Amino acid sequence: MSTQIDNRAIPARQNRTMGHRAIVARRNRKKRVKHGIVIAVLTAWTIFALAPITWIFLMSLKTPGDIVSYPPKFIFTPTIDNYIVIFSGSEFLMPFMNSLIVTIGALLLTLVIGLPTAYALARFNFRGRENIAFGILSLRFAPELLIILPLYLIFQKVGLNDNYLGLILAYQLVTLPMLVWMLRSFIEDLPVELEEAVALDGGSRWTAFRHVLFRLIAPGLGASLMLSFIWAWNQYTLPLVLSGKNTQVITTGIQQYIAYQSIEWGPMAAATVVSMIPGILFAVFSLRWIVGGLTAGTVKG
Amino acid sequence: MKPKPYVPYLLVLPALAILVAMLYPFLTGAWWSFTSYRLNRGDPSFNGGENYLDLLTTPDGLHAIGTTLFYAVTVVIIEVIAGVGLAMLLNYGPYGNAFRLLIVLPLLLPPVIAALMWKVMLTENGVVNWLLESMGQQRLLWLNGPDSALWSVILIDVWIFTPFVVLLAQAGLRSVPQELQEASAVDGAGPIRNFVSVTLPMLMPILIVIIAFRGIDSLKMFDIIYTTTKGGPVNATTNLHVLGYLEGIRNLNFGASMAALIVLWLLCYLISYFLLKARRKDSVG
Repeated sequence: MSTQIDNRAIPARQNRTMGHRAIVARRNRKKRVKHGIVIAVLTAWTIFALAPITWIFLMSLKTPGDIVSYPPKFIFTPTIDNYIVIFSGSEFLMPFMNSLIVTIGALLLTLVIGLPTAYALARFNFRGRENIAFGILSLRFAPELLIILPLYLIFQKVGLNDNYLGLILAYQLVTLPMLVWMLRSFIEDLPVELEEAVALDGGSRWTAFRHVLFRLIAPGLGASLMLSFIWAWNQYTLPLVLSGKNTQVITTGIQQYIAYQSIEWGPMAAATVVSMIPGILFAVFSLRWIVGGLTAGTVKG
Repeated sequence: MKPKPYVPYLLVLPALAILVAMLYPFLTGAWWSFTSYRLNRGDPSFNGGENYLDLLTTPDGLHAIGTTLFYAVTVVIIEVIAGVGLAMLLNYGPYGNAFRLLIVLPLLLPPVIAALMWKVMLTENGVVNWLLESMGQQRLLWLNGPDSALWSVILIDVWIFTPFVVLLAQAGLRSVPQELQEASAVDGAGPIRNFVSVTLPMLMPILIVIIAFRGIDSLKMFDIIYTTTKGGPVNATTNLHVLGYLEGIRNLNFGASMAALIVLWLLCYLISYFLLKARRKDSVG
């Protein structure tokens, strides 16, 4: 990852002249100025990226009076009332739990369906393969409502409206294409010889998959699942149409705090902060992983 | 290891089932787009291409198409320039990993939540207007102004999705061999020349992927616009996806709604088709 050469690692030459040293010093100074500019630009963007998050976090700790005061208050006595409000009623907890149920359910289904599909697309040569692959990917590229609005009426007929199973099925629209495409690339990047070696030793394709391939794709699989989790967690259009009172998820549930008459800023800010947690956890633990995963899934090196 | 010919089909069967299950509502919707179907008012009856004609001839329809294209093009241009630039700085400068972790955070929040946060900050008495005033500037209407609403939504999109470009571009930049850049620097190329003739061509494959993904996602942007403005004020931020929702859910006019969504789908499909073509050519050549 780091291609910088550590200057100290180069053994100092004994007969280094003064002129050489001056050049090195000038180069270092130039480099330091450049680095300074780079850090300044990156810091500026970081402030832009973090300011809204910080502001909402501060807001979640304010009393209603402090929230609406103008000029805005940066120094105030923090309160955790807003968090108590959201955690003591079902207004927030129910959507949060629903989000967990639907997201995890959708991921499990995607895994069961997507893993064999990705394996077949990567390792078998069969008629219609590219068409099937493109068909699956095109789910990701279709405007969600084009499928969801008719699906809503179909679900109404078969009783899948406002229903976990219905949502989990619909979420495949988001999670399946990406998982299949990323996993397919991961598997294609692994040499077939490994599996052939197992076959030579008398093992079946299944043994080869279980003992060799599965272990090798585990990190890629983890990365793809994590990304799919975030995508499903963030989904808004699908539940907006398909979920009713009982299956409200977090993205649609948070809008409850915005009524026509008034907006409950404090609880809304607190709910916003809590709903960010999965994403932030994800960033801290697996970002480094993901960059490799994303590239493997989208471009072939 | 000679597999039986039906094995791969057996393996893709469940995914095919999902595909077919999604194809059914899609085709239903496509059929509705040619009908005057209104919910609770009888069965769909064929009305030729009337819905499409309406979309392509009325000011509202044309406005939605224009908004869709303007939004997508603007957002992609800004995000690609900012994202690739930031990625290069991250790769070049110190503390790259720490900066990346912080810069990437907006991407991981649900876009709806991010949009809500901005909505809170952009209100009339919000913190952004206070910042403007304390710098001696005029307050702005932001999401409530007919002229500023679309730009405000674009600002939110840039805030959320520039990190997506950063992540992919960073990965792409790693595949540019250091030696090539050094070689061209030795040959006397300045940094700009170096970027245009060495880095950019090597970055092309991933740039195609970035532009396609961001292009398609911003063509069909719904979350940010619907949570912040619901397509307003009047119809200043109504793109095709929002129009499809409003026609379908608010007016229960499924014919018009589906026509808008089919046109949007065609736009997305064209882009993904060219993407796959470009990508295939790239990996062969």
